[in-house]
Amino acid sequence: MAPRVVVLSLASDFGCQVQITNMTDQILDVLGVIDLTYWQLATSGHLPAEYDVAIIEGAATTDEHVALLKKVRETAAAVVAIGSCANIGGVPAMAREGDLEERYATVYGGAAVAVGRIMPRPIDAVIDVDYRVPGGPIDTPEFLRVLSKVLQGLKDDTPDKTMCASCKLNETVCFFDQGQVCLGLVTRSGCAARCPSLGRPCTGCRGVAPDANLGSAREILVRYGQDPDELDRLLRIYNTSREVPV
Amino acid sequence: MARLTVEHVARIEGHGNISVDVADGVVRDIHMDIVEPARFFESMVCGRRFDEAPLITSRICGICSPNHVVTSIKAMEAALGVEVSERTKLLRKLLVYGSYLQNHATHLYILAAPDYVGLPSVFPLAESAPELVVRALRLKKLGNDLTTATGGRQVHPVTAVVGGFTSEPEADILAGFRDKLLGVVEDALSTVELFASFQVPEFATSGEMLALTADDDYAIYDGDTTALDAGWRRPAGEYRSFIHEDVVGHSNAKHATVDGRTFLVGSVARIDINAGKLNDAGRRGLSLSGVALTTRNPFHMNVLQAVELADASARCAGYIERLLEMGGSSRPVQFHIRAGEGGGATEAPRGTLYHSYAVDDDGIIVRGDVITPTAQNLANLEADMRAFAPTVVDREQSEFTTLVEELVRSYDPCLSCSVH
Repeated sequence: MAPRVVVLSLASDFGCQVQITNMTDQILDVLGVIDLTYWQLATSGHLPAEYDVAIIEGAATTDEHVALLKKVRETAAAVVAIGSCANIGGVPAMAREGDLEERYATVYGGAAVAVGRIMPRPIDAVIDVDYRVPGGPIDTPEFLRVLSKVLQGLKDDTPDKTMCASCKLNETVCFFDQGQVCLGLVTRSGCAARCPSLGRPCTGCRGVAPDANLGSAREILVRYGQDPDELDRLLRIYNTSREVPV
Repeated sequence: MARLTVEHVARIEGHGNISVDVADGVVRDIHMDIVEPARFFESMVCGRRFDEAPLITSRICGICSPNHVVTSIKAMEAALGVEVSERTKLLRKLLVYGSYLQNHATHLYILAAPDYVGLPSVFPLAESAPELVVRALRLKKLGNDLTTATGGRQVHPVTAVVGGFTSEPEADILAGFRDKLLGVVEDALSTVELFASFQVPEFATSGEMLALTADDDYAIYDGDTTALDAGWRRPAGEYRSFIHEDVVGHSNAKHATVDGRTFLVGSVARIDINAGKLNDAGRRGLSLSGVALTTRNPFHMNVLQAVELADASARCAGYIERLLEMGGSSRPVQFHIRAGEGGGATEAPRGTLYHSYAVDDDGIIVRGDVITPTAQNLANLEADMRAFAPTVVDREQSEFTTLVEELVRSYDPCLSCSVH
């Protein structure tokens, strides 16, 4: 029997789900080997009671999200977190910084709103995650590689290293040598350093690499005449969840 | 039948429920509850550096992220007084139109079409009507490839920055796109014919129509905001003076009005206002669509998006022709950081998108404001639901809810966008 797969989304911009629809050359082949039983973006119907693989996009933000995740963990054999929001909190988790009441006042003028208070956090703050596809948004070839691992029951092997070696391979001139701060020196590799190769310093959408050394990274900023606090300021775009516990 | 709820309406971007209250065959109340949690983008940009606004606000929407990037950049350039090159403007138009091709193809074939062929999703068609699925994927792929070539990647493009582009495609790659774009005009016209063959309910919205208009182009990047009924045309960057937003109790998305009326943005409004600017391919599409120029039917959003696909394919080929001839540079221009305020707009696939910012002397953002197309459309969508539901309340319950869902899907709503 083909593995029963569901695609779920929490607080997100749907960008990673769009990336799934964007694997235009492979989508029909993928649908040939899985039983896609629920995907709100593309199909009518309800989340079934049983399934094997849950692919989850978005940050866990509301009590409903937390309850849903716990149910999913009890049901699915494999939980796959896709994208920055699901894996590290991402941009939605920027809302955790500072005073949430003030944010309501800024955006809604303090008026009562329909859905209660929020606390965006990565999925693994609520349940265990088996596979990760990092990045904001995910890269479709990487998603396909991880999905084949899931379907074959192979272990997740998301790289633990930082991105600098990718720039060396690409022969991209280092942004630090051009007077700019780049988060590639602490960010998880695996994207072939796409943004730096297009002239943009890394902004850390894949999260801080397990192998990263933030202390040495700050020293490197100092060595290049940069304010070491700039590293932390930049990390507060995608990686706020690291330092502000739930 | 008393209270009906459609939870997590399928095949739309984001999470929303429809609630209908029916007693004795009369629709007492109907509304669209947006259950997406609030996201606070307007407050999250405050305190960040000016060049980070496009990066952050792009995450409002993974579907029209190229529009958020370009609109945010335009607003920031207005605040900082930055003038960009003609080459940069043309490349930005290609970036936005790549998003149109991708979005319209996705909305039409993956989200909307299953309604009209009686299927839960488009995927079963891969066996019964493979040519249709292949056509859909071809259009979508070309849109993605065009966005990737101009923006660096298909979702959340990275090369467009305040002042220009950090990287742009080689001439031979651009030339390849010109040929491919001309090659899909027929695909787009077949899409028009397909959607023209679907029966849609007779219905007219009572809302105003708003779209950007430009003198020299079918406006998506430049232009003023035009209100069709009221007949005014105003600078789009000053949208805060004419679009009024209210917080409503049942939704984390605000409701918008203009001159005290709800209004509609998107393909119907754009074509009602700008039909005269359509190119040959667009005019052929419009004639194949069978839709009258003055349509007020939101169910026509689908077929008119297909007309826009035909127009856009040929139009982008023309932009590329100009880029290949003109020379010049898209490298970011030099500018001074100064305190200022400014707004900007583009036409996103589902309607006009507005951003505005105020920055201080150091280029730190002190105020951010975004009005997405869906946030503008929601109040009008609810008004349409209230007017439409009673006309079909005598149908079987499942047909009734499907028809109301079709109305919602015609608007091509992006609910996570709406609660930015």
